[in-house]
Amino acid sequence: LRLWRCRCRALLSRPAAALRAQRGLAAGPEMHFGFQTVTEEERREKIYQVFENVAKKYDVMNDSMTLGIHRVWKDILVHKMNPCPGTLLLDVAGGTGDIAFRFINYVRSVRQRQLQRKLKHHQNLSWQEIFESYQNDKFNNSLGDSQVVVCDINREMLKVGKQKAQHLGYSEGLSWVLGNAEELPFDDDKFDVYTIAFGIRNVTRIDLALQEAYRVLKPGGRFLCLEFSHVSNPLLSRLYDLYSFQVIPVLGEVIAGDWRSYQYLVESIRQFPPQEELKAMIEDVGFFKVDYENLNFGIVAIHSGFKL
Amino acid sequence: KMAAAGGLRRAGWRLWRARRAVVRCPQYPPRCALQASAALRAPSDEHKKEPWASSSQQHFDSPPAGHQPEQKPQGPYPSYTGLGGQESEDYESEEQLQHRILTAALEFVPEHGWTAEAIAEGAKTLGLSVAAAGLFHSDGSELILHFVSECNTKLSELLKNEQKLVQLGRAEKKPIDEFLRDAVEARLRMLIPYIEKWPQALSVLLLPRNIPSSLTLLTSMIDDIWHYAGDQSTDFNWYTRRAVLTAIYNTTELVMMQDSSPGFEDTWRFLQNRVADAMTMSNTATQVQSTGEAVVQGLMGAAVTVSNAGTSRAVR
Repeated sequence: LRLWRCRCRALLSRPAAALRAQRGLAAGPEMHFGFQTVTEEERREKIYQVFENVAKKYDVMNDSMTLGIHRVWKDILVHKMNPCPGTLLLDVAGGTGDIAFRFINYVRSVRQRQLQRKLKHHQNLSWQEIFESYQNDKFNNSLGDSQVVVCDINREMLKVGKQKAQHLGYSEGLSWVLGNAEELPFDDDKFDVYTIAFGIRNVTRIDLALQEAYRVLKPGGRFLCLEFSHVSNPLLSRLYDLYSFQVIPVLGEVIAGDWRSYQYLVESIRQFPPQEELKAMIEDVGFFKVDYENLNFGIVAIHSGFKL
Repeated sequence: KMAAAGGLRRAGWRLWRARRAVVRCPQYPPRCALQASAALRAPSDEHKKEPWASSSQQHFDSPPAGHQPEQKPQGPYPSYTGLGGQESEDYESEEQLQHRILTAALEFVPEHGWTAEAIAEGAKTLGLSVAAAGLFHSDGSELILHFVSECNTKLSELLKNEQKLVQLGRAEKKPIDEFLRDAVEARLRMLIPYIEKWPQALSVLLLPRNIPSSLTLLTSMIDDIWHYAGDQSTDFNWYTRRAVLTAIYNTTELVMMQDSSPGFEDTWRFLQNRVADAMTMSNTATQVQSTGEAVVQGLMGAAVTVSNAGTSRAVR
């Protein structure tokens, strides 16, 4: 497996690297920031500033740009994950906590159903057994020991996320960690699921982020990536382009007072590798059963892989 | 051109993965390790080289001492790929891993039903994360199909061993109705540990998505039973026999679902009656056929006699 990849890489290193350079991915100091060319350091800084600026209006802008459909996309992602109680989730670039909150809701409802089934089962227990079941911690835990760690590189986004959590009443099972997706501050083999929703586009070195994802996942763990992708249908593609470049920056200016950040956003979507290429990158890092599901004809795609 | 090269690389990669069903290749890993390290140390402008080379370096240094590719690893959990790029000796294909997870999941079915939860618990016992249940469909179809196919395999084994005993002369050859009855009973007894959740499984098997696979499994099982019963028909009988046995099997299964008698006696009695019915039906069918033939012959004879009488009178 790896042997073939290494051999192939040695043989075809030059063309592959050139291909990557074309995609603006770490073949040297030249990188893309939207449609501009910048160095790696500059790119990191610029992206940090973009999200610092948009943090407070992030959710509002999401709703207005995608007409609220982003909520459905995130719901589909968590349904696809189908987490059972006891799952440890790492949500990278999870800033304002959308995926984390959905995960907690899902696990809570699954846990409710589990407890109901247990209660039905418990109709014919002796007093001793009932007493013992109350002693058992799991019986009282509404999340069943599931936990989600929200990791983001941007302090502002995390701040907004924490405020939202407080506001919506999410207290248990959440942690907020400041960290870089290319260099996660976690040990190996820790998490059951790693998700990155609309964040991998902003990572400067996607391959490093994928490697880190592989590292922190337990064997059998799942990698899920929700991201804007390429639309193959030509008619839809033209409409989508029209909407992206004409409407979204204007919305950005009107609602958030920041034209440039939203210009960057739509440009970065165009610069991001298409579905098949991202799938190949994920396979390269060592994930198995890598697959993607197009939502809305390719406007958004969910990539999934397993560490086996 | 670059796109072609990238495509070529990926095509080769896919070809490799397609061939990945190989389970053991004793001479392979040492060469792997050597060539992989050589490839890694080769000067290239690949950005991935640095982090890989250092970790693989460590990885290659440790195994050579205890590296025995022919030996099965004794650890509780075999790893499938090391981060350093070296294949562990016990690398198996994804299908085999899925097979193992499903087998492990079966013991949790009485508690959780045929669901992704049971699969998650099964994965946990193998040392994998619960997220590995995402490898399968969330309604548990693969688990049920796996179970059915396992049962069919067990039944085949059973019948084959019986046949061997008969051939060796150590057992009597059973009459057809007894053989069919025993085979169906043996197969249905395999459901007993899961009988409470089996109705759920049946309904999942009837989902349009699963019908092709479940039908194939059913027909191959029936075929197996008739084969070991000694059926060698090549005419329309082949179809009628299989249709009859399928009907018997399905109806008995349904009776078993709601049977609460001790040891499922009612079900076995029902099965006996159905098989007896089928035998009677086939006897009746043969009788009807031979009677019909006799009647036709009689009529033909009468017709010939009448025509002969007519011509002889004409001659006179």
